[in-house]
Amino acid sequence: MKGIEKRLREEAKKLLETGSVSAVLAFRDGYDGDHPVPFAARDVSDADAIVFNEYCTHNLARYVTEYEPGTKIAIAAKGADSRALVVLIQEEKVKRDDLVILGIPCSGMKDARRGTVIDEATTGNTVNPVIHDIMLADQLPEPDTSPYSVLTDLESRGHDARWKFWRKELSRCIRCYACRNACPLCYCDPCFVDQTEPRWADKSPSLESNLMFHLTRFYHLAGRCVDCGDCSRACPMNIPLYLFHKKVAKECEEMFGQTAGMDPEETPVMVDFKVEDSDEILL
Amino acid sequence: MVKKIEHDRIQEIIAALMEKGILYAPVEDEEGVNFHLVDDPARVTLDFYNTVQGPKCAFFPQTEELIRYRMTHEGADAAEVEPDESPQVLFGVRPCDVRSLAIMDELFCGGGIVDPYWKNRRDNTTIIAYAFDTVDTVDFYGSFGIGAADDTGADILMVKVDGDLLLDARTEKGTALLAALDGLDEAAAEDEKRFAAAVEGAGALETRRIDTDCVARDLPGIFDSEFWQTEAAPCLNCGVCTFVCPTCHCFDITDETLFSKGRRVKTWDSCMFTDFTLHASGHNPRTKKHQRLRQRVNHKFSYYVTNCDVISCVGCGRCTRFCPVNIDIAGIVERARKRASSQQINNQ
Amino acid sequence: MAFDPTILGIACNWCTYTGADLAGTTRIQYPHNVRVARVMCSSRINPAFIFRAFELGADGVLVGGCHPGDCHYSTGNLYARRRLAVTKKILDFAGIEPGRFKVTWISASEGHIFAETVKAFTEEVRSLGPQTKFAVTKGNDQ
Repeated sequence: MKGIEKRLREEAKKLLETGSVSAVLAFRDGYDGDHPVPFAARDVSDADAIVFNEYCTHNLARYVTEYEPGTKIAIAAKGADSRALVVLIQEEKVKRDDLVILGIPCSGMKDARRGTVIDEATTGNTVNPVIHDIMLADQLPEPDTSPYSVLTDLESRGHDARWKFWRKELSRCIRCYACRNACPLCYCDPCFVDQTEPRWADKSPSLESNLMFHLTRFYHLAGRCVDCGDCSRACPMNIPLYLFHKKVAKECEEMFGQTAGMDPEETPVMVDFKVEDSDEILL
Repeated sequence: MVKKIEHDRIQEIIAALMEKGILYAPVEDEEGVNFHLVDDPARVTLDFYNTVQGPKCAFFPQTEELIRYRMTHEGADAAEVEPDESPQVLFGVRPCDVRSLAIMDELFCGGGIVDPYWKNRRDNTTIIAYAFDTVDTVDFYGSFGIGAADDTGADILMVKVDGDLLLDARTEKGTALLAALDGLDEAAAEDEKRFAAAVEGAGALETRRIDTDCVARDLPGIFDSEFWQTEAAPCLNCGVCTFVCPTCHCFDITDETLFSKGRRVKTWDSCMFTDFTLHASGHNPRTKKHQRLRQRVNHKFSYYVTNCDVISCVGCGRCTRFCPVNIDIAGIVERARKRASSQQINNQ
Repeated sequence: MAFDPTILGIACNWCTYTGADLAGTTRIQYPHNVRVARVMCSSRINPAFIFRAFELGADGVLVGGCHPGDCHYSTGNLYARRRLAVTKKILDFAGIEPGRFKVTWISASEGHIFAETVKAFTEEVRSLGPQTKFAVTKGNDQ
């Protein structure tokens, strides 16, 4: 990782010196080395503050939509981050030409708060960025694990058992919206849950309104979620949102034959159709 | 007069407390250890550094019904929900969190207008504080004159020493509660010494410190500085910090109606939400995230001091621990202070 | 008293709703349990409607649209097909029995099929019993 940090700083310096980008989205140290903070380096002198270590888990694509369209941005992108950028490009929230993607192949990232290693159970198995301008390290071997094997247990249970599970998990939600706000693809302004006319969900975190929020959000991310796991890591109540997002992603892949965020030329599955789409599942 | 009980028998004391009133205590759940209304003594634990959220839920729940109503052919039939007056016990509250309650008292009971929902519960609650025996790297409660075994505001102070829980009353309410609990042993002279030693030991624990002198006075001076844009850049504008904070108290009042009946509820709100300051006209004075972060820091460290004479922060560190992007409010305040004083020097 | 399901029906104006109308004018008998809401096209359906229906206490939801290829707006139902498929998978994973949510293609001339579908679906939902999972507090006074 130290090698990546060094190269990241070098590339950032070059880009900021030539003025080819307004900002380099990366990380800096937080209150200690295990708690890095997302950071937009703007001057060459900022580049020295850039860090990259196993705790730099945040999906920096989240910040891309905060910039005025047309702003040239460089971004340190891990696997899932690069896929999120692809979705943003597909959805025309950012132009490919406005991005300088500094690809970071990595695995073995860690969740400091929970003291766990992050693997394909809670995030996708995209270890290598799917698009990049500059790769900051050698490609890693593609994993042979599936990002969906963690679903086997829930999938094998009956409906009542599954309901019992989700009722328990979603009752804990305090509607802090950390999940929504951490997600690079939740950029709607206003978000449906903040609307009062119509009022989709009440403000109080009752099970019913939590269900409305979460199920609708799972649906809104269908074919878009890139399995970065930031939502679940952000949740102060440890709700395993990634399980539901993975399930929806898996179903979309199986039903519509496309994986979210792989090719900027593709049309996202939910704004597309094929005449051959199956009716079976509906009837 | 110190009382004691073996830590292994904690369920007995919990069961006894449950008979004295509504009990809020730290419970191990999926999110970690958090204050919950206790229905099963077996789930209470003292095995934690600090809980996910503070104990404000015992007085200021996330959802509070104010009015229940139904529509009939004759019109609306509405009834106020009476503020709760049941006796409550709060067990296992860290000293910084005990202090947070006094800070919130200024808002809910000071200034001439009293919030009955808050006050009734406060008056009817006995608080059992739980001294720290270690420090971590994130807390900074020492900055506010709060000690690791501080008993300010507590009715009973409890320490855990060598497998025993030692409890000592600090107020009449505390004495009465301890006297009414069977199953507690009278402490021997030995135990009194152990209690005193534990308190003294805790007194020597040092959290990190920030300088809070003049912060309240100086913050407004850098209101227009670009400092806030830099500090707010990583912020996601979720509401985690406000929802885990023991002194955050913003709330919203909404009506939840379903077909012909409903309720008016008070729910926690967050100044970090984009629509927090959205006016009915459509105008929103705080559309940018740096405005909202600036507001939160200024409110806690400056405006609250102007209005209530106390900083609305107890240095518990939760906002920092749970912030998805590791923003550290102590760091922000330190840097703000330095920026303010260098600005003053430049202006001279 | 036997359980009488409450089912929300959402029917597209040009096909299913007209088909339902035909069932009425030809005096075909079918159960009263499906309360039909009309939309101009099945693609108007926001999956949040379905979640909300269950949250408000619906025991079942029946969606009817034009046959794929015959949408009045050419492609609306082709988008809807994908959306409703995902909705079905979400409900299934959350623990709602699949028999409670059905999507069907019924044309304007298929009045008898509308009636048959309503009859069969009502029985299916009746056999599943009241939906109490999402509808934690059934607010309806009646």
